[in-house]
Amino acid sequence: MRRGVLASQPLAVGVLVYGMAFGLLAREAQISLSEALLMSGLVYSGSAQLVAVSAMSNGQIPTGAAAMAIVGTILLLNARYLLYGAALRPWLGGLPAWQAYPTLGVLGDGNWMLSMKAQSEGENDAGFVFGSGFAMFIPWLGGTWIGSAARALIKNPGLLALDFLLVAFSVAMCVGMFKGRSDLKIVVSAAIAAVLADRFLIPGSAILCAGLAGAVVSWFTFQEPEAR
Amino acid sequence: MSVRFDFLVFVLALGCASIACRFCGFWIMRYVAITPRVEAALKATPVAVMVGLVVPTAVHGSVIELVGIAVAGIAMKLTNSDLLAAVIGVAVVAVGRSLKLAG
Repeated sequence: MRRGVLASQPLAVGVLVYGMAFGLLAREAQISLSEALLMSGLVYSGSAQLVAVSAMSNGQIPTGAAAMAIVGTILLLNARYLLYGAALRPWLGGLPAWQAYPTLGVLGDGNWMLSMKAQSEGENDAGFVFGSGFAMFIPWLGGTWIGSAARALIKNPGLLALDFLLVAFSVAMCVGMFKGRSDLKIVVSAAIAAVLADRFLIPGSAILCAGLAGAVVSWFTFQEPEAR
Repeated sequence: MSVRFDFLVFVLALGCASIACRFCGFWIMRYVAITPRVEAALKATPVAVMVGLVVPTAVHGSVIELVGIAVAGIAMKLTNSDLLAAVIGVAVVAVGRSLKLAG
């Protein structure tokens, strides 16, 4: 667990900053500090919270059909967690439920990527996943707090390019995990799926479609290792 | 600084949706045998998801974001540190946006 906490520190800085960005935007949508903290604690998903906040930019709380539409969007936005959880099954499957499910509760994009990378490099302590997740949940709340409180001080949040952080991380980790020709088909199929989803489906579906395309392609092109 | 009741209901609905996504993928896999083929498919998802995260920004972004993506990728090749590469990429976009605003 300690290794997970330590490994996630660089990303935790990013999460803190991302949380601040959410706090700022929430304040602008007339969401109070305690409401913003409640949302960060219960939903704990940057993209989902940003969608919800943008729907509240007029200061109105969505009800009825409008609220259901946002819930539906969040299901699609966070459907990637289905893949994350599935991918963690071989690793966390042996844990008792009271350990496995809290680990999933604090799971985030960054600590999942970090954990999968650590696993490919030989890490096998399931505490790594919880440690890195929890170590990012705290700065997420902290960042929300700071951002909500500091709204008055910052004039143009877009100039800090915080929205680009997750993208830049993805590019870097993708390049880092790329292991040659067998990964090429995954990247290409994921990219095609993402472009199509982005063009024809709702915003946010690109992540889900890309992940599914990569999984399906590698399922169908899998070759049993040569028997000796 | 209080919590409005409507907001609480709204947030609880969002929270349930979020938790359901977190738990279900892991739970379903309890009933699916992990063959080498399944494992290959699961191992392919991280890279594929990352591609999916980048593509919308690449498609909708301006030249600034495209340069940022290219710089982050090259920086990763050179430094082999994902944090450093990401920070450099963000810095490029931040500077680019400021210059655009100024110019």
